[in-house]
Amino acid sequence: MKRRTLLGLSGAMLAASGIAGWTLARHGEQQVLLSARNDKDGQHYAVGYRLDGRQVFATPVAERCHDVYPHPYLPLAVFVGRRPSRESYLIDSRDGRLLQVMASPADRHFYGHGVFHKDGEWFYTTENDTAHAGRGVLGVYRLEDRQLVRVGEHATHGIGPHQLLWMPDNETLVIANGGIRTEADSREMMNLSAMEPSLVLLRRDGSLVSKEQLPEQMNSVRHLAVGADGTIVSGQQYEGDPMDRVPLLAIKRPGQAFQHFPVGEPQRQIMNQYTASLAIHDELRLLAVTAPRGNKVFFWDLDSTELRQEAHLPDCAGVAAVAEGFVVSSGQGRCRLFDCRAERIASTPLALPAGLWDNHLRIV
Amino acid sequence: MLPAGEVLQTDIADEDTMIRSNTLRIASGSLLTALLLSACTPADPQADTSKALVDGVLLPTYVQWAETDRRLAASAIGFCADNQTLPEAREAFIDAQTAWAGLQPLLIGPMGEGNLAWQVQFWPDKKNLVARQVTALLNAKPELTQADLDGASVVVQGLSAYEYILFDGSIDLSKGATKERYCPLLTAIGEHQQKLSASVLQQWQDKDGMADQLRSFPNERYAEPSEAIAEVLRVQVTALDGLKKKLGAPLGRQTKGHPQPYQAEGRRSDTTLASIEAAVKGAEHLWLGADKDGLRKLLSTEQADLAKRIDASYAELLQQLAGMSQPFGEMLASVEGRKQLDALYQRIDRLHRLHQLDLSRALGVQIGFNAHDGD
Repeated sequence: MKRRTLLGLSGAMLAASGIAGWTLARHGEQQVLLSARNDKDGQHYAVGYRLDGRQVFATPVAERCHDVYPHPYLPLAVFVGRRPSRESYLIDSRDGRLLQVMASPADRHFYGHGVFHKDGEWFYTTENDTAHAGRGVLGVYRLEDRQLVRVGEHATHGIGPHQLLWMPDNETLVIANGGIRTEADSREMMNLSAMEPSLVLLRRDGSLVSKEQLPEQMNSVRHLAVGADGTIVSGQQYEGDPMDRVPLLAIKRPGQAFQHFPVGEPQRQIMNQYTASLAIHDELRLLAVTAPRGNKVFFWDLDSTELRQEAHLPDCAGVAAVAEGFVVSSGQGRCRLFDCRAERIASTPLALPAGLWDNHLRIV
Repeated sequence: MLPAGEVLQTDIADEDTMIRSNTLRIASGSLLTALLLSACTPADPQADTSKALVDGVLLPTYVQWAETDRRLAASAIGFCADNQTLPEAREAFIDAQTAWAGLQPLLIGPMGEGNLAWQVQFWPDKKNLVARQVTALLNAKPELTQADLDGASVVVQGLSAYEYILFDGSIDLSKGATKERYCPLLTAIGEHQQKLSASVLQQWQDKDGMADQLRSFPNERYAEPSEAIAEVLRVQVTALDGLKKKLGAPLGRQTKGHPQPYQAEGRRSDTTLASIEAAVKGAEHLWLGADKDGLRKLLSTEQADLAKRIDASYAELLQQLAGMSQPFGEMLASVEGRKQLDALYQRIDRLHRLHQLDLSRALGVQIGFNAHDGD
């Protein structure tokens, strides 16, 4: 298998969120945080800020975006429209120039997540086939002369796909099929009694590697983090009774089945049936999860599954790994740096503008 | 000192410069240049308001809530030992219910974040779960212990089950055998509520606990006073929105206009309107403060018009509530009554919008959205 030999690189690619970004940027400028953000009037932006607060760009965009994914080596990033958006934006990450408004085909809409392939030629998104509402589709785009052209699609083997990430081989995608059917131009959930959430591993050619499900049928698998060793963690949002006691994190360690990640009852309660973003810190072997309904960021030891710490952050949103630990954004307050190197995790507010940050962020 | 309100009011393109010019110190040599926020000077109006609200409104209300729950627990014991009459026991319940309703706009911190509200009240009870689960629990555990209740479903742990026992027409507590059947549950609920409110109050009063975190900045929870003010406003807005749901559900607003009398909060004890009134007063308390030092004080003289509109909105709403003496169920059953309730709904809606849109903008604070985003 090529898998092992690629591990080194994969750590870097994977995180495009994290340590790697820092290493690459160290000799020049500081790391840049990419995210979707609003202003107080509700105008949507694709933004890039250095972590010291300097704005690199703030490009107004028509649709609210969700996740963002940088190109592996060109100064490009795609800001993906939030469901049921029909637009995503290819942005020059040096100055924020809008290079392309990517329109979804007539009977497709975006779900807010996408990824560039490591070679830089291909981009993949999760999409809804609104002609067969809810049928999950992996949109395949090719980068041609700084434009992304949709060249095909594959089935995600599930309903309502949400986040997708690369496995360490950079050829296999892990896809969170949320399991919720929504129709065109709508966020209304149509099939709560017949949800089919699943975690799917898919090769780039669309061939299915595996499909696994959690025992709870209404536990929507939505967000993901992948470690350099191939450990996958998923964060769920539970659509059933608010009082059902349902685990909201799951893990698939290399060679093992997809199963619940143990979370203490107080933490589970604080999540209030909802997890937002996840990130793995490969060097520190930590998992960070934002739980905005409880105003909490949680840090677990990935290997022992012990809770390292929980920290307050009102309306916490996106999370990404950096050398020291994690950077977390908030819809309501300042972004924070959580330094996780010492026994006691320390939080420092960052000089980025406060509030209005959308669910996900990436650091390059 | 970072004038956070100003920063937040600037356009996105301006924020960069604003923050740069206000960054106190660049941590040279550190991998990240973090903004080091110094302790805010006492002159910071948002810090002042936060401190005034915690000492004048929030903490006293939590103390009072815990006290009504202490009396509720004592009342249950007294009633079951025949030292209290049923009307006295009902009064203790209504006090606890009203205190809880008044706390709704103040659910900042441990109570809301811990998702503990279900343990106090089960609403809406669309499937009559309270009655069914109380019956099932007592059938399964005729000799119910405190531990049985503490480990049971939240449906039976709170005020909704307590209300069912004391007020439901099917339960005749004047009969010795009936009283004997329900008393273990009644006292266990009283004890559960007392423990819960005492524990939440403790988290407020602990050193560096919730109250301290609203008194001085920065702290582990809030990087600056505007984050605290934003959170105060958010829970207030959430509660006002909750009132729309509590009134809208029985009015049939989610059911094509068909009234749903069984979905009224506190329908058995007819505390529906009293609870709404208590919640509106709680919200107004945050607005005015204990000594004219609430959120209203943060508005500038140029924003006096908005302040007056909010004042008037509270006054009209409370005036209408004060004039509604008919039981909620009866109002719901009559055309004239429903008209009045619709007008009440509109007034709550207006007050909600004034806070969510106008006040948040005027204060320059952002109310988060990720918690309700569903993505």
